[in-house]
Amino acid sequence: MARKATTSRRLVMTFVAYTFALILFFPILWMVITSFKSEADAIALPPKFLFFHWTLANYIDVQARNNYWRFAFNSVALSFGSTVLGLIVGIPAAYAFAFAPTKNTKQILLWMLSTKMMPAVGVLVPIYLLLLQFHLLDTFTGLILILFLSNLPIMIWMLYTYFKEIPHEILEASRMDGASRWKEIVYVLSPMAVPGIASTVLLNIILSWNETFWSLNVTNIHAAPLTAFIASYSSPEGLFWAKLSAASTLAVAPIVLLGWFSQRQLVRGLTFGAVK
Amino acid sequence: MARPQSELLRARTRTAWLFLAPMLIVLAMVAGWPLLRTIWFSFTDANLGKMSQAKFIGFENYYASFGGILQDPDWWRSVWNTVWFSVVSVSLETVLGMIVALLLNVDFRGRGFVRAAVLVPWAIPTIVSARMWGWMLHDQFGIINDMLERAHLISGPVAWTADPHLSMWSVVFVDVWKTTSFMALLILAGLQLLPSDCYEAARVDGISPIKVFFRVTLPLIWPALVVAVVFRSLDALRVFDLIYVLTSSAKETMTMSVYARQQLVDFQQVGYGSAAATLLFLIIAAFTALTLIATRSRASEG
Repeated sequence: MARKATTSRRLVMTFVAYTFALILFFPILWMVITSFKSEADAIALPPKFLFFHWTLANYIDVQARNNYWRFAFNSVALSFGSTVLGLIVGIPAAYAFAFAPTKNTKQILLWMLSTKMMPAVGVLVPIYLLLLQFHLLDTFTGLILILFLSNLPIMIWMLYTYFKEIPHEILEASRMDGASRWKEIVYVLSPMAVPGIASTVLLNIILSWNETFWSLNVTNIHAAPLTAFIASYSSPEGLFWAKLSAASTLAVAPIVLLGWFSQRQLVRGLTFGAVK
Repeated sequence: MARPQSELLRARTRTAWLFLAPMLIVLAMVAGWPLLRTIWFSFTDANLGKMSQAKFIGFENYYASFGGILQDPDWWRSVWNTVWFSVVSVSLETVLGMIVALLLNVDFRGRGFVRAAVLVPWAIPTIVSARMWGWMLHDQFGIINDMLERAHLISGPVAWTADPHLSMWSVVFVDVWKTTSFMALLILAGLQLLPSDCYEAARVDGISPIKVFFRVTLPLIWPALVVAVVFRSLDALRVFDLIYVLTSSAKETMTMSVYARQQLVDFQQVGYGSAAATLLFLIIAAFTALTLIATRSRASEG
């Protein structure tokens, strides 16, 4: 009797969960569908769901208007560049927090996290002037530095929560065998922390990929990523919904695919630091 | 015996500082220096066109005979909008996130698939989702109006983002769409760490699921929930891109960040805009301090 009740309850729950997921996913689906419509079909009333003339014309137009591949390459270069820099600075810092704690460790961690609370608009002018002074406006170096700096606290925090779980004894054993601190990090700690580092890298790539505020304010042509590519379609008053949808689909496709296939690591990475 | 130990301790401290140095230096560069400069600008009449001629003018950007920021009704309106947005959106996201987390905690076929699908709204750039919603909520060609009309819930087209009475609710709605799944995942992680024997005991005793939720589940995940809510609130207080893309600089939805950007970039008033940014810092810092005090006194009680 009891078993039957749980089965039917489970069925209801499953149905509710799928309905919810569909509602949540619908806007993305609508965007993808619209990207294959002609502009006339896109604004047809009542809206057409599936029965219209499917076309690739928008994608061809978008590519002709702005070279998609250049923006995509920039996005990849910026997210990977900032992630690599973040690991170089972040792993030693997380190591120090986890394995050589002093009485100030907690305060430093708190201060580090508190820098994440700064509204970007508040430091826009000083940072802009700094980049101007060092001739870094609209360069990869400039934007990579900003992305790296703005995500560093989150990276260190995540790495720290993973490193904390690794037993000290293993590291001490390698030190007894004469390994230097640096070798200890590279050859002993990092291989053991691969899942944690992978989650951190994933989250950092997504955050860098989606960053819009700085990308718009400190780049122009040369180093502009895909978020700037979308922003260039800035007149939604004109009836270019199908083209905007095609451009948007192109901009989010790589990151959605990446997130989808690495969902397990990503979820673990996102939730680890919050719970522990 | 005491000496080698203290030497070890000293060596450890030295390593710690050495390894932390790069992080501390870069963070001081990005968080310390620009912030100090913004505060300094807020006491000057700096203008983006002629930065070198900036003069120190004391508190005149804040309060002056010809009108400082504290006398500007638009500023107070944006403060009120920010607080309203943060309270309403974070509350909705927490309650809905809780429900979704409880759903996803049940084992069913295709749970991984559903989990990935609900994560997508969070994983795409806000500029894309805000544009998509701007179009779906369009008064003439938007699919939302079409669906609601067919369901006879509205009788004519509604200007969701342009109507002053509705635009703030539209912004909250899109934020809830974007962030609820993220909240749900944070809560879900807390749920999955709970020991199952409490539930077994409760089920054997025949206690209703709702009672179990309020008496067992909620108290156990409370710490994880508080962390999630604080982090979300800090994000909400800074909200910028969603509102800027969806409703531009309309007064009805203008938040503190949007106000500061308008002064800094559109009006090029670096001094005045920096004063707005400084006040925004102060408000967020005050909120953080209050939260820390509240959680600390709670911890010492328990």
